[in-house]
Amino acid sequence: MRTQITEMFGLRVYTDRAVFIGNVDDVVLDVDQKKVDALAVGELNPEIGEVKGYTGLQIPFRVVKSVGDIVIVRHIPGLFKLPAKDD
Amino acid sequence: MSKTFCRSLARKKVMSNDGMLIGTIKNIIVDLNTGQVVDLLVKPDETFKTDGYRTDGDKMLVPFEAVKDIKDYVVVDRYLLKR
Repeated sequence: MRTQITEMFGLRVYTDRAVFIGNVDDVVLDVDQKKVDALAVGELNPEIGEVKGYTGLQIPFRVVKSVGDIVIVRHIPGLFKLPAKDD
Repeated sequence: MSKTFCRSLARKKVMSNDGMLIGTIKNIIVDLNTGQVVDLLVKPDETFKTDGYRTDGDKMLVPFEAVKDIKDYVVVDRYLLKR
């Protein structure tokens, strides 16, 4: 599936545990390997962990599972917390 | 420098390794299944003749394999351009 990179800007990024991370701000290319290296994600969801002081996250492309209307990445428990439930 | 942000590539000029100005980057085409960067979509400069090159409408397709390096300009190999 071939996509123009500008179509990825602004896509919402979720983990496969349905946790919202943020929106795609930019895409990082590895020029030597000729590959997509990472997605730069901004407007982070404050509930996924310590995002204070950060304007964005770079999500390595190897954890990206699927890109369509939204982006789905593998859930990494140490990195993304499930939102705490209020009982 | 091997890693670069796509937004910093927008409107960068594309030049061949023999010093010819080819055009300006308009978009980048990637294969999202493999993560491979496939093509650059380049708006050709008026001085550049696109005969014999792959084009899509008024844009030219530059295979990313031809890209030598990206700094102030995007330098591509003239011989790898035609595919």
